[in-house]
Amino acid sequence: MFAHLPILIIIFPLAIAFIIIFLFKKYSPFLSIIGVTVSFILLIRFAPFIHKGDELLYHLGGWQSPLGISLSIDGLSFFFSFTVLLVGIMVILYSIPEKKYNHNYYFLLLLLLSSMIGVIFTADIFNIYILFELVSIVTCLLVAYYQQRVALRASFNYLLISTVALSLFLLGVGSLYSMAGVLGISSISKQIPMIFAENPKIITVSLVLILTSMGIKSAMVPMHGWLPDAHSLAPSSVSAILSGVVVKLGIYCLIRLLYGLFIAGDYHGYFGSSLQLLMIFGAVNIIFGAMMALAQDDLKRMLAYSTIVQIGVILIGISINNTTGFEGALFHIFNHALLKSGLFFCAGIITLQTGKRKIKDFAGYGEKNPFVALCFTILSLGIIGIPPMNGFVSKFLVCLSAVEEEHPVFAIIIIIGSLMTAAYFFRVIQIFYSEPIQSDKNISTIDCEKSYLFQPRIFELSPIFILTGISIIMGIIPSLGLSIVSPAIKVIFSSLLPVLP
Amino acid sequence: MTPINISLLVFMIGLYGVIVKNNMIKKVIGLAMLNSSVVLLFVAIGYRDGGMAPIIDNQTANSIGTVLVNPVPQALMLTAIVVSISLTALALALVVKIYAKYKTLDVQRINKE
Repeated sequence: MFAHLPILIIIFPLAIAFIIIFLFKKYSPFLSIIGVTVSFILLIRFAPFIHKGDELLYHLGGWQSPLGISLSIDGLSFFFSFTVLLVGIMVILYSIPEKKYNHNYYFLLLLLLSSMIGVIFTADIFNIYILFELVSIVTCLLVAYYQQRVALRASFNYLLISTVALSLFLLGVGSLYSMAGVLGISSISKQIPMIFAENPKIITVSLVLILTSMGIKSAMVPMHGWLPDAHSLAPSSVSAILSGVVVKLGIYCLIRLLYGLFIAGDYHGYFGSSLQLLMIFGAVNIIFGAMMALAQDDLKRMLAYSTIVQIGVILIGISINNTTGFEGALFHIFNHALLKSGLFFCAGIITLQTGKRKIKDFAGYGEKNPFVALCFTILSLGIIGIPPMNGFVSKFLVCLSAVEEEHPVFAIIIIIGSLMTAAYFFRVIQIFYSEPIQSDKNISTIDCEKSYLFQPRIFELSPIFILTGISIIMGIIPSLGLSIVSPAIKVIFSSLLPVLP
Repeated sequence: MTPINISLLVFMIGLYGVIVKNNMIKKVIGLAMLNSSVVLLFVAIGYRDGGMAPIIDNQTANSIGTVLVNPVPQALMLTAIVVSISLTALALALVVKIYAKYKTLDVQRINKE
């Protein structure tokens, strides 16, 4: 029954994308929602199978592993693709009522989703490169969708930086391939001890190159320069998918390659020291991102810097190297995808309704559209980590693991980061519920959204309500979310076991 | 100098171009050099001294001791070349659009606004 499902999950949105662009331009919203939903349902059919802890290897065209291309679905890739498709459905639902996107937008969105699932499913280190390039090309096109001045500039910078990152990644792949002679992740990891005995420098070089490239893609702080521009100047729906899942792809590759490949080469403590490095990067991300977010006066730019803060929490979680920390980090990836895409949807609706982008111009918005303001408040409580919300559970798990592994400094940094997050979100919420200042000289320099007075009907806000609802439910019953995460953790730590003795 | 060293040198020159140059076209040229250097690296990895093109016909199959170069990196690099061409095309298209809006190619002046 499962025979061809893995490739169908990738092919279905892709096929729909080309059907839209060539045949049915008129019905593009309808077709794209069908494409992503079918793909999501096909993925859900793996759930009981994944829950048993199995892994499915699919060989494209029946060519076996060293010759052909293979896809693998295990707990980790199931978790990430679940997140990607959930956010994808919400983004399409959000885009439909705005009616300002044409068929090109849906085409690019479906292409982005299917190539992201490709990155997640592939079991081949070179295919990660190709599909990641596809993701960044499509992302550039989506960022520059309206072709405004600033958006074009942001898109060009993103293209330059991500291409440099992926060239570094390809160099790392090349140096591994020169010794291993194979490209599959599992077959390279079998050869790593042999390569280490022969030429340990190759391992160091490729580890450094892959860490750097994925650090750039997941916006670790000295290499984050592309993120605030690209995420804040894109259309809101695109910002949601960028902040929600595209940044997480870098983290996925970090987890997959660090724990899948280099753990076996942990003879001179490379693996341990790279984990320590990631932990420090995470701490820097939290402090720097929070300080920059406090300084912003543009709502979407503030949300973009807030993404950097949450990436820091996730980095600390994955680098603590214990089950609780991983659970927290992966759950935080899921939660942040829901919360941040919801927040970007809210920001999009707010920008459309007021025609402005600066935080100080939103005074009195709470009366204008109470639903959106309420949802924004609830979602931001989630990002801060206030107890009934899901963000609390994941941040708490990461802090707990930091204390367990005797790194209490990092727990304190996460708490300080949460306090600063509260500071910059409460500033916005306070302005929402304050009296509007009467002034007719409102200068908004950057008008990224085509501003027309948009009055959303209640059902058009449904993606925001759904995301808020899921966030609250995940906060009250965290075991529901942790049950998605637990097979992924089994995958990561089963690769750890043979090294332990 | 081995081909691998040369490819790393080209990589560094490309990186220098992307980071230091102010002209956008020169940045795109640097980007193209980055990608080509990686192509060179992979082809150098697959090369064997005195190797022939990996085409097995009757003659090569019968003669013992024929050295063939590794075809896998070349096949991989066909894909990477396609990717790098599309990247360069996209970057140049963006440069055209940016030039139309800003009337300059100088990154310093564009980023100042």
